[in-house]
Amino acid sequence: MDPVIFTTTAIIAKILVLLGVTLGVVPIMVWFERRGAGWFQGRPGPNRVGPFGLLQPLADVIKFFFKEDWVPANANKFYYLMAPVIALVAPLAAISVIPFGSHIIIGDHVVHLQLANIDSGVIFILAFAGLEVYPVILAGWASNNKYSTLGALRGSAQVVSYEISMGLALLSMLLFYGTFNMNEMVTWQSQSLLGPIPSWGAFLNPFAALVFWISIFAETNRLPFDLPEGESEIVAGYHLEYGAFKFAAFFMAEYCAMIMASALLVTVFFGGYGFLPGMQMLLEMATAQFGLAEVGIQNVTALLQFISLASKVAFIMFVFVWVRWSLPRFRFDQLMDLGWKWLFPLSLVNLVYSALLTWYMN
Amino acid sequence: MVNIIYPMAALCLICAALAVVMLFSKDALTCAMSLLGVLLGTAGIYGMIGAHFVATVQLVVYAGAIMVLFIFSIMLLNLKKFGKDFHVLSPKFLLASLSALSLVGIGSWAIMQWSPTERAQWSNEAMLAAGGNTKVLAHSLFTQHGIAFEAVSIALIVALIGAVTLAKRKF
Repeated sequence: MDPVIFTTTAIIAKILVLLGVTLGVVPIMVWFERRGAGWFQGRPGPNRVGPFGLLQPLADVIKFFFKEDWVPANANKFYYLMAPVIALVAPLAAISVIPFGSHIIIGDHVVHLQLANIDSGVIFILAFAGLEVYPVILAGWASNNKYSTLGALRGSAQVVSYEISMGLALLSMLLFYGTFNMNEMVTWQSQSLLGPIPSWGAFLNPFAALVFWISIFAETNRLPFDLPEGESEIVAGYHLEYGAFKFAAFFMAEYCAMIMASALLVTVFFGGYGFLPGMQMLLEMATAQFGLAEVGIQNVTALLQFISLASKVAFIMFVFVWVRWSLPRFRFDQLMDLGWKWLFPLSLVNLVYSALLTWYMN
Repeated sequence: MVNIIYPMAALCLICAALAVVMLFSKDALTCAMSLLGVLLGTAGIYGMIGAHFVATVQLVVYAGAIMVLFIFSIMLLNLKKFGKDFHVLSPKFLLASLSALSLVGIGSWAIMQWSPTERAQWSNEAMLAAGGNTKVLAHSLFTQHGIAFEAVSIALIVALIGAVTLAKRKF
């Protein structure tokens, strides 16, 4: 096949897979969020639509589509309509640099399982995570509503403060890996630390992993840091004036941002697409069973790597839901205290520790 | 190698259009949002010519942090009434545009002074051979320009401390 046509097809296929997986996970997460809430709180949760309430997201989508598409009279219409679009675009763009496997071989072509292998992948994600503050500010301001504006103020203050400790935690890991490239990070983490334990970032520098994990809760506006929407105080915060599909866009954006943040956490701290324990054995068994050649082994490896990444991300997403239904919301001053007086200085200390450790190791 | 001239020209045109909107709009928020658009567009241009690091840093620093502050203060201070005082033919505006244009002129003149051999030193191929442009940038930043780098960071700390001191003063 013509290489140009093949490359183009491969890129389009990768875009479709990424979009399909990310947007396909959203309804499952919506279902799990509500079933999980019921589970954690000892009540059934939604169980009427379909088996185990599995068709509930479908019912929600139909409801969102058929509601009246309404714009408040005194809203700034352009920015009001733009906010949900930015909210959805930013996390979807960031996902493009996450590697979801090493490579597969089709015919005599090698397809790398990453949409954009750019040199500075990690900062690229940080950049798009930074853009996530715009929909909050714009939505809150353009709705022309006091509660929305309060939500926007809270949201932007929170995202900006937690981005600092997030960046510092990431920086300490960059010292270990010595690269911005996410593929090289995964390869680095697959080497052995102590016998069968891989040298995952979370084992080398557990504190940075913890800070980063806390920060992504704040970045994605999830409980216990969901102050921008805080129902009991400011109704629904920045998206109070949004209804129908525009609200659904914000809702989807929240889950896409969660997927993106979990994928980043997994790639930097939990070995990315590297094998989970036991997968190597599985690969050897499959090789012996089906008599696979080199090409076959590589393709099965890629499949196992994708499964490994997906199960790690699924676990982080589970923790998101777990925390949401276990912890109460922080007060705003507590949130700022935690961000500036605890996480920020501690991650600075941790950065110095990592620098010394890397210097010692070299 | 894919021909990037046409998409790049399109991006430049979009940036230029947004820049015009930014200059002549009377609504402060529209100005700020178009400036954000220009910054995103230039990041795209950097990315297309292979300077991924500069592109991402442009996104992180300018689009992700500085513009948030701009928009934040515009929204908080509600700067709507100042828009009416704006006139295209005011001496202030003309002087400002003149100095900006001369800055652009000096910059392009300086770039044109480079000989082809000097330019080839920084071409994409040379960058890839030296280990990618992040590596080259980091290397030259922390060795050749180390003192300048530290001087800038001290200047930033001075500015930060100054801002905190000014903000803490009782009025």
